[in-house]
Amino acid sequence: MHREIRDHIEDVLAGSQPVSRPAPFEGRPSEAILQDTREHLAQCNECRAEVSDMQQQTALIRELRAPEGFATDLRPGFYARVMERIEAEGPISIWNLFIESAFGRRIAVASLSLALLIGAYLVTSERSAEESLLALESQQVTTEQMIVAGEDAPAREITRVDQSPTDQSSEDAVLANLVTYREQ
Amino acid sequence: MDASITTLPFPAIGEGPRARTRVDHKNSEEAALVRRVQARDEMAFREVVERYQSKVFSIIFGILRNRNDAEDIAQQVFAKVYFSIKNFDFRSSLLTWIYKITVNECYDYLRKKRVRKLVYESDFSQEDAQRMEASEPAIDGSVPADTRLAQRDLILKLLSKVSEEERSLILLKEVEGHSVEELAGMTGLNENTIKVKLFRTRQKLLRAAGRLTRTR
Repeated sequence: MHREIRDHIEDVLAGSQPVSRPAPFEGRPSEAILQDTREHLAQCNECRAEVSDMQQQTALIRELRAPEGFATDLRPGFYARVMERIEAEGPISIWNLFIESAFGRRIAVASLSLALLIGAYLVTSERSAEESLLALESQQVTTEQMIVAGEDAPAREITRVDQSPTDQSSEDAVLANLVTYREQ
Repeated sequence: MDASITTLPFPAIGEGPRARTRVDHKNSEEAALVRRVQARDEMAFREVVERYQSKVFSIIFGILRNRNDAEDIAQQVFAKVYFSIKNFDFRSSLLTWIYKITVNECYDYLRKKRVRKLVYESDFSQEDAQRMEASEPAIDGSVPADTRLAQRDLILKLLSKVSEEERSLILLKEVEGHSVEELAGMTGLNENTIKVKLFRTRQKLLRAAGRLTRTR
């Protein structure tokens, strides 16, 4: 849509009134503006088509007005019913957002599942850590016993202690123990 | 949309009354009332309900055309007003704020009941349709009630494709009949911003209508 129409589209649509009732408070655009838009629309097919679509759309939106003469009287006691509802609902808390809406419920379920997964992972990983620590400790104890037992044994006996060369940490532990033991 | 209309009617000539005064929403009589409601003054809340209940009811009825549901939703609107009024920041008028809540509640209702495909399929009886036709004559007297219901359904669906702000603005303009100047006063935005927002909304609606037509 060209600028001369776009800038005054509200004036054009307000004036078109293709519905049964006029917009009650709408002002009217000046003659000069109308003349310009009229001339442009007479020449420009593109703008004319778009304005026409907008007019029809506007007419449909205006159909959402309550019918003329519609009785807006509510049944007596409306305020009391509003207050009853307020009392029944209570103050809105953050939890209502999760409990009341379907999306909120999904988020709550997803969060709970995630928390459970994380919890399960932490518990199992802690257990395996404990187990490996225990295994390491028992291995250290065995190593120390072997060292004590084989103090007078030939060097080749001590080298047998290093039975798991792949386990770098246990090797380090053995060496540390050995050094400590000799220092003592 | 029907592209057969090629002649454009133009408005009557002359300057109508234009509300150019920018309203100070923080220091009005209405602001004092709102502050009382924020302080949980029940009499003030009652005043708000009594002042706006007819307006709210007619907005809802205009959208849903179901009196019982309209009253139920109106109650919900005021309950929401009661609980949320502490968040009201005086940037717009109270009516604009309530209007937005009202339209949102209508759309929540439509979403919940999943009746947007054909709004009246379940609720609207033949008798209702006849009553509506009798009470609200068609524009050219030839559009049958079911076509008009389908058109209403279409525009409600299209309006659900734009943001809450855009929806409220276009409804305030076209349904409530407020001018751009009045909307500027009501929302605290300047007139050009209102015009741009309205134009973008109209374009979005046209695009949504195009997409809907292509998928059908």
